[in-house]
Amino acid sequence: MSIFSSKRNHQDPVLAGTSRAAGTPDVAETPGTPGAPGTLGPTRGLRRVSGLRAVELGAAAVALFLVLAACFPTLLAPFDPLAINPADSFQGPSAKHWFGTDESGRDIYSRVIHGARPSLLIGAAATAIGVGLALVLGTLAGLGGRWLDFGVGRILEVLFALPGLLLALVFIALAGPGITTSVVAVGLSTAPGYARIIRGQISQVRSSAMVEAAVVLGRRPAQVLFRHILPNALSPVFVLGTLGLGQAVVWASSLSFLGLGAPPPAAEWGAMLAAGRTYLGTAWWMTFFPGVAIVLTAASSTVLGRALQRRVAGR
Amino acid sequence: MSFPFRTPRRAVVSAAGAAAAVVLLAGCSAGGTGSEENAGEPVSGGNLVYATGDAEPTCLDPHVGGNYPQALAASQYLEPLVSKNDDGEIIPWLASEWQESEDGLTWTFTLREGVQFTDGTPLNAEAVKANIEHVQDPETASSTGYLALQKIESAEAVDDLTLKLNLKAPDSALLESFSMPWVAIQSPKALERSQEENCAAPVGTGPFIVEDWVKQDSITMVRNENYNSPPADAAHEGPAYLESITWKFIPESATRYAALQAGEVHVIDNAQPDTIAAAENNDVIKHLDAPRPGASNRLELNTSKAPFNDPLVREAFVRAVNVNDGVSSLFFGTAERSYSPLSSVEPLGYSDESLFGYDPAEANRLLDEAGWTERDAEGYRVKDGKRLSLEFPVSTNQSIPAEQSLFEQLQATAKEAGFEIKLNLLDLSSWYGALAENDYNLVSAPYTKVGPDVLRILFHSDSTVPAPSGYFANLSQVKQDELDELLTKGSGTSDPAERAALYEEAQKIVLEGYYILPLYDQQNHFLYRSEVSGLRALPTVSTPTFYDAWLNS
Repeated sequence: MSIFSSKRNHQDPVLAGTSRAAGTPDVAETPGTPGAPGTLGPTRGLRRVSGLRAVELGAAAVALFLVLAACFPTLLAPFDPLAINPADSFQGPSAKHWFGTDESGRDIYSRVIHGARPSLLIGAAATAIGVGLALVLGTLAGLGGRWLDFGVGRILEVLFALPGLLLALVFIALAGPGITTSVVAVGLSTAPGYARIIRGQISQVRSSAMVEAAVVLGRRPAQVLFRHILPNALSPVFVLGTLGLGQAVVWASSLSFLGLGAPPPAAEWGAMLAAGRTYLGTAWWMTFFPGVAIVLTAASSTVLGRALQRRVAGR
Repeated sequence: MSFPFRTPRRAVVSAAGAAAAVVLLAGCSAGGTGSEENAGEPVSGGNLVYATGDAEPTCLDPHVGGNYPQALAASQYLEPLVSKNDDGEIIPWLASEWQESEDGLTWTFTLREGVQFTDGTPLNAEAVKANIEHVQDPETASSTGYLALQKIESAEAVDDLTLKLNLKAPDSALLESFSMPWVAIQSPKALERSQEENCAAPVGTGPFIVEDWVKQDSITMVRNENYNSPPADAAHEGPAYLESITWKFIPESATRYAALQAGEVHVIDNAQPDTIAAAENNDVIKHLDAPRPGASNRLELNTSKAPFNDPLVREAFVRAVNVNDGVSSLFFGTAERSYSPLSSVEPLGYSDESLFGYDPAEANRLLDEAGWTERDAEGYRVKDGKRLSLEFPVSTNQSIPAEQSLFEQLQATAKEAGFEIKLNLLDLSSWYGALAENDYNLVSAPYTKVGPDVLRILFHSDSTVPAPSGYFANLSQVKQDELDELLTKGSGTSDPAERAALYEEAQKIVLEGYYILPLYDQQNHFLYRSEVSGLRALPTVSTPTFYDAWLNS
């Protein structure tokens, strides 16, 4: 059920903006029974579910698992992710070590589980920074008048000229490696993309009849901005954020793969990939499972983002 | 409403695709094709591709700075005055004879006749004098060569081929020093060029000539057709068999090994332990193990500041880390644990295993005794509100991944005793920076030098003073009069028995003071394809030489 409620949470601000008159949440449409996605019978929930494809259910299941792993890693991981055991090194996947062990005998399954938190946290924080910064820039450009729009537009174009990851690397070169830096770096480098979209949305909404009506009715500018323009312009931002989360996770992993993220011995997917690639020929599992985790995270966030996009667009 | 989603979606999908490619790669295991070894008569011609995983030198002239990557390359195009044979005896190279005076303060070298640098300049006493002055000139910013030739006061050319050296003090290590590539002899005419020019293409007497250097890609070396100065232990005379060498930089170890397997390169250095173990069961790939002389690979404990200014804490650290389990599991039997400050190839090395046993209980007792009695929330020991924390900068260029994994294991075992080790993986220049700022408690700094005089370089108080390059070699920052005296005496005596006794005493002091934690020899493993014949490592600093090598087609 949390799949749906989380999706609805994403949309709530939109609802609040567009259909405030409705007021009451549409309880009937929210499936109240938990139940695994595969076992959903012909209940009232089906109408909502039938709109989802199997792949979306899979993506939601992966996302749920990841969130669970990030919140309660010790529930899912059988071993301490940092506990070394040299005698047990380079063991292939087995009943005891599902994903095998690494060069120091650490359990890779436990490390992958524990790696979910830093990865998701970095991804979410970086996306928040990116979107937040973009909101300011986009709003300034969309509402600030011709010259401000021109100025912000040119700055964004300059930033667009640099590939995002390069921008992140430049920032890290200046600020020094570490988790905080990579969060800010990834956030900064994704901001221009979001900013451009937000600006477009805002100028579109600004010229809509609804806003004109509000202005004619004599609403104060702040009220117009916060009650009418932002809520309507922002619905795509949540979709973008979901799509961008996967990208941010991949970028954050790339940075720690390059040795610019979490310092050893942290269990972080990118760092695990980097450690494993040395032994690619002899111990494939060291690279394979953290790699799968990154791919699944990026893929599930993309699939969910697309599903969200279709729903918002169809509204 | 329609939203411009294209760009972000594509970025995510391609990023996910890239990650998927890594995963797919992981699934493939590599295999080789079999071929019979064919080492018959030497074949002339062909281009040999060498792939190095060491840091790319910033200067190809090994006088400048003076690190191992420079020695590797320079061994192909520069030659020193003397060499060493497999029995450890000094043998002639560019010098044919030498004589030490009775008081040990004057040395006379007779140079080989008829040798020319590849720019046509003749090798003579004036040329060698110019080289010694070049190494000693602070403008050159030499470190390794500078320290090796420290005792030379002046050089004079007696006649065309006779060189006289006046020393400040007797130097029992002088010949060993002169066997190293860091003081190899270059054309005096070439040395007069700007340092930038000389760094790009040094001119020597060697079997190959530096033709081109494309930064971050490769050095091209071509055969010296007029070559006539092989060392006394070479397998043939005249020019080299190989027409040229492509000296590629492939820092990524898995890529380097894959290139070797695919036949794109013939020889790789810095081979990983797991690939060496795999090569044992493989006909196509062969292994050359050439441990470096000089110091063993060890952790140095910085005694100049807390907490390692306290001998109890040093001993506690040594007792708290489990080295042996890590070495045996990570190195697949390719490295043997060392308990000596010196390399196993040094005849005067002294070992004491009893000092370095893993003993967590003793470590805890020592830390309690030293006053680190409290523990914080994370389990680290605390004294006067300060955590027992150790900065450990690691040069990623100078340590293979297995070694970095070993450091992680030391970090994990030290934590149980209450030490926090902060591993900072750094590139070479940031690493030098951290050392220069005394911003370290632990460091692993390989030091290669022929002979036990390396102990003077590493543990004499004089070596806490930076060389012109800015590097100081006494990284444990030991300043002890008794040790200084032993090392000074040792480097001044030419009586072999006395020399051995002095160096043994000095090594005892170093080990018992817990200034270092010996790990293993400086690993120097080469893998090469079976079509390469005649490859050997010079017995001096264990760099490979391709003079006698050839390629079977």
